[in-house]
Formats: sequence, C-alpha cells, structure tokens
Amino acid sequence: MADLEVMAKLQGVKGAVLGDLDGAFLDAVREPNGEAIAAEMGFLSSSLLEVGEALGLGALGTVALAGPQRASLVVLRGRAVLTARVEPVKALPLVEKSVENSFQEWT
Amino acid sequence: MENSLQSLLDLAGVNAAMVYDGAGRLVAQRGKAVYDRALCEQVGGPLSRAVDSIQLQHQDWEVVTARFADGTILLRNLGDVAGATYVLAVVADATLNSAFAAVAIRVAATKLKKLLGGAGASALATSLGSSVGPLGPGGSQVGAGRGPGSSQVFPPGSHPASGSRPVLASSGLSWSKTGGSSFSAVAAADPAAGAYLGRCAKELARHVGPMAKVYVEEAVRRLCADATFTMAQGPALVEELAGQVEDPADRAGFLKALEAGKSK
Repeated sequence: MADLEVMAKLQGVKGAVLGDLDGAFLDAVREPNGEAIAAEMGFLSSSLLEVGEALGLGALGTVALAGPQRASLVVLRGRAVLTARVEPVKALPLVEKSVENSFQEWT
Repeated sequence: MENSLQSLLDLAGVNAAMVYDGAGRLVAQRGKAVYDRALCEQVGGPLSRAVDSIQLQHQDWEVVTARFADGTILLRNLGDVAGATYVLAVVADATLNSAFAAVAIRVAATKLKKLLGGAGASALATSLGSSVGPLGPGGSQVGAGRGPGSSQVFPPGSHPASGSRPVLASSGLSWSKTGGSSFSAVAAADPAAGAYLGRCAKELARHVGPMAKVYVEEAVRRLCADATFTMAQGPALVEELAGQVEDPADRAGFLKALEAGKSK
C-alpha cells in the first residue's frame, strides 16, 4: 500500500491504482475506475510478461502508455501491479524518472 | 516494408522489428539471430491480447514502451489501415538510444502506413503474388535471409517459400571520411564522392532526422551493391533519397539544396 501512496504523490500523477497480475483490485487513490483499470492493466502485464519470457527479456519492470490525450505508467513489483494516470501527457518521462528513483529508494 | 523494418534494425540495440495485424498475425518481420519468424509468430498472440487490453483504457494510444530486465519492447500503433489495424513492434536491448529510436519508429510507422494502405500495398501484393490484397491469404514470402538478419514479408497465414532479393548486402567496405561523416558499410571512390555522400546525409537530416545516414547507406548499397560509389551515381542517389522525404515542399527544398551545393 505504501508503494501506491508514494506513486500517487509523484508530480504529474493524477490517480493511481494497485492491483495484481491476476487483475484483482486492491486499492486506489483519486481513481474512481480502479477496478476496471486493475483488471485491464493486470491482463496487459501478464500478456507482456508472456511476450518477454518468449523473447528472453527477463522480468517486466514498467510499461509506459502514451497517446495524444492521455498517458499511463504501469509498474510491476513482484505480483503487484501499480498503475498511474499521468497528466499532462508530456509529464510521462518525468514520472518514469521519479518512479525509477523511488524504486531505488524502496529496494 | 522491408526497407522500413531494415532501417529500424540498423539502429544500435534493435534486435527485431515486426508488424502484426489486429489478430496478432505476423505481417512482416526482420530480426537478428534468434528473432526468426517462428519466434515472432509465437509472440503475436500475447502481443495482440496486450494491445486489446491497452485499447480498453487508451483507445487513442500511440506508443507503448515495456521495459524488461534485459531489454525493451516498443509498440507503435499503426492505426486503422484499409479497414484493418496494425501494430509495429520493436525489440531492443539496453544499448538502444531511446531518442533516436523514437524518431526512427515514427518515420518507419509513417512509411508502413502508406505501404499497408496506399499505393505500396498493391506493389506489395504484386510482389507477393497475391490476388486478394497486400495482406490477404495466398501470397508467398519474399526476401528471406539477407544482410545481418533474416527478413520476411508475407500475408498472415501464408507459409514461407523460397526466393530472395538482396537489398542490403553488407559490403564490408569503409566510406571515405573526407566528407566529414563516417559511414561503416559503404565505400566512396574518391574524396569528392565521399564529401558528396556527407552532404547528402546532412541535407537529408534536415528533413528526416538522425536516420538520414542510414538512408544514405541503404541507397548507396541499392545503387552500387558491392561496388564503390562514384560521382556519376550522384543523380540516381539524390533521386533515391528524395523519395525518403514525404512532404513535397521539403522534398523540393532537399533537391534544391543539393543542386545548389553541386554548383558551388
């Protein structure tokens, strides 16, 4: 849960959801659609894990999604899947960097 | 399509470039070493499922970057082309220059969209021997096993067939550095020719970005194969390179700049 709160406080993060690789919803901060996001990002993460395993890329760390209107960052911590809604879209690199730094502090 | 995927594979750190349709079927691929067709086909299913789940929350997604412990997968949405959706997937290792890759993928995506939906589609269909369309069933594979990696372009569900069309044969030669730019795999006959290649790359870079050098190398290899580039091939080279500049005004500017340089 601490990971979720840290992520939700990062500059550029408007909402955050904590789920797991099975798509189960665990918690959310400023995100009313948490259950759907946890399910979809859990499924996305497990699908990409399957791809990475086949290609020999090792463990999945983050997934950054960007479009003209919205961006999200998914962070995997063991079986936990943290999803951040990022606004504006151009803040995504900053959030990625902040998450990277935060991970170093958390580990 | 081959050239667009090859331009991505030429980037440092890129190990494979693939195009999938909305059902996860492999449309084209170019990869190094183990990234052969079978492996690329294998990941089509889970990649397709991943894209489907992305679209639930991000219908207008453009780019997805999945970072793994030992590499990165970059996905670029090619959108709806002629009634079908396509995704460009690039597999890279830790040496990838993300900034260069972003530009190169954007350029490649633009070209692939045109090939999949535009005039290039009929040309591809012809080259595939397909009467259904560029991505319909019944075509055959072209261009297997060339250059440093293996390459295939085929309609979904087709089976590999024999046939190859060398485009990017590695010459192993070195380009003269007199032009101020160094190129690793093509050779200029004399300092003037080397300088001309450098000028072409510089002018092209104004319009297509850092991939310019790669495009010049590709064009020289198409024109000269294993032979050295001479000034006599200058006009043909410029014509080839102008084709890389999509905007007509930019293309005219590119041609004018090189013409002006020639008269100096």
